[in-house]
Amino acid sequence: MLGFLSARQTGLEDPLRLRRAESTRRVLGLELNKDRDVERIHGGGINTLDIEPVEGRYMLSGGSDGVIVLYDLENSSRQSYYTCKAVCSIGRDHPDVHRYSVETVQWYPHDTGMFTSSSFDKTLKVWDTNTLQTADVFNFEETVYSHHMSPVSTKHCLVAVGTRGPKVQLCDLKSGSCSHILQGHRQEILAVSWSPRYDYILATASADSRVKLWDVRRASGYLITLDQHNGKKSQAVESANTAHNGKVNGLCFTSDGLHLLTVGTDNRMRLWNSSNGENTLVNYGKVCNNSKKGLKFTVSCGCSSEFVFVPYGSTIAVYTVYSGEQITMLKGHYKTVDCCVFQSNFQELYSGSRDCNILAWVPSLYEPVPDDDETTTKSQLNPAFEDAWSSSDEEG
Amino acid sequence: MSWKRHHLIPETFGVKRRRKRGPVESDPLRGEPELMQLFPRGLFEDALPPIVLRSQVYSLVPDRTVADRQLKELQEQGEIRIVQLGFDLDAHGIIFTEDYRTRVCDCVLKACDGRPYAGAVQKFLASVLPACGDLSFQQDQMTQTFGFRDSEITHLVNAGVLTVRDAGSWWLAVPGAGRFIKYFVKGRQAVLSMVRKAKYRELLLSELLGRRAPVVVRLGLTYHVHDLIGAQLVDCISTTSGTLLRLPET
Repeated sequence: MLGFLSARQTGLEDPLRLRRAESTRRVLGLELNKDRDVERIHGGGINTLDIEPVEGRYMLSGGSDGVIVLYDLENSSRQSYYTCKAVCSIGRDHPDVHRYSVETVQWYPHDTGMFTSSSFDKTLKVWDTNTLQTADVFNFEETVYSHHMSPVSTKHCLVAVGTRGPKVQLCDLKSGSCSHILQGHRQEILAVSWSPRYDYILATASADSRVKLWDVRRASGYLITLDQHNGKKSQAVESANTAHNGKVNGLCFTSDGLHLLTVGTDNRMRLWNSSNGENTLVNYGKVCNNSKKGLKFTVSCGCSSEFVFVPYGSTIAVYTVYSGEQITMLKGHYKTVDCCVFQSNFQELYSGSRDCNILAWVPSLYEPVPDDDETTTKSQLNPAFEDAWSSSDEEG
Repeated sequence: MSWKRHHLIPETFGVKRRRKRGPVESDPLRGEPELMQLFPRGLFEDALPPIVLRSQVYSLVPDRTVADRQLKELQEQGEIRIVQLGFDLDAHGIIFTEDYRTRVCDCVLKACDGRPYAGAVQKFLASVLPACGDLSFQQDQMTQTFGFRDSEITHLVNAGVLTVRDAGSWWLAVPGAGRFIKYFVKGRQAVLSMVRKAKYRELLLSELLGRRAPVVVRLGLTYHVHDLIGAQLVDCISTTSGTLLRLPET
């Protein structure tokens, strides 16, 4: 580590290398910390979490009671013990609250002034963060399982929505109506995700065991259906291609958008090359998955070897993405974990589960060396704020 | 959370000087013959080629991705065939190509001498097997590339060499493998129930192998134990008294 610092200082090494090495070391040391807590607001299980991409400071959570809470993750107190407080929440007494469970929440990718939430009450609501009012509501015929807005796109404001019907709907935020329908799946769509690399590439996962990649500008249909056996590609046999041997529950692109991870109810996780749809055949072993709806998992960002954090029953399993090795299982929740998000600035992981808790997994730092006795009694105040008046009455 | 520094940390920081590594020892090709030895040929009167499962190879090679890649290489070189066993979409049987060809030739041709599908099977073995190393075959591949008629494909399905997967696609199959699959599924359940009935649902490997196999287990306890460990149906924990097999909680 000191060698890295001096190499960076003298210019022998790229500064990014030190950052990636240290990020990896911190991710490998993730654990529950008694000093970090997230305030408990939800009365039901937590289905979804999202951290805003601009600063990494605010986190949204959506629960099965329909409540949406906004947390401030930044530690502005000087103490090491910190509870992430809820800044505001859309509770059951709000006039526009979702009637049933909130399945997905997402911040508007470009700033924190807006966020979107979709729920089992067949609506997608667009909220203004400052006034906490709905700016727009999209209604659908079926329950909504998942929605996603492209994190990189500046040319379009399409939100892809996956519902219980087999059609993927694309809603345009500018015009306020559904602009496209993508047809191709046969059963409910459990997860949708835009590529973080290209503006128009969308991946959708469905209960009919298929994962399809779409270019939304193309009128004729999907680009590729992922095939787990990497068989010969020909149009006639596309119907037989399956990505998993069960429902496909979760989708996640790696942060560079070159690979796609999918999990399915056949207890497998697969890594695909997103440009040609090839199964890279990385074997992660058994990844238990009993979820009937989507499973939200996440990939780390900024480490030298990327890690994927997958909810595995009541624990979170951590694997290296490209070699499939299981690093550890993070144990701490009492019931099934439903979602997790990674904060890449501080390498922290937040996970929400059915036991109504959000847990923060923080890199374990070294224990501070205990100071000598004189220094502990010193005042905690910054010397600039200390008053110069003496407490004695005689002096002026 | 373990307090030991994870082995990836020195790798990331490049601290340790790398020792010259010898060639990778974990080669499934070496593990397979010993697994093939476990397969009881006499049980099927030599009608079936020795079948090894992919999960058994995982129990020998610690890194699954490496095992998968090496099996895929062997498949592309034409040394082994991978066959879909019907009971579980994930369970693949691995057979040496030579064994497959000799056994299928012997038993199918013996069974169907004079019947119309002998010709179709011979044509299949001669032209399709060396050319296409996949698990499954598609309609247009069979009709255009290899020149099979629909009636010939029906003969192949009747002979047991192909199994229907979907409209217009077929899995490669081993004729007469039905008995093997029946014994395998029953034996797997029986060995799992031996672990399940134990106190605390865990059993030392040495004790499991030392017990008398129940009648249902026709393929041998070692064969099934390799499969259970590789398929992660039991957790393998190393203790001071040896390896312990424990049923997972989920």
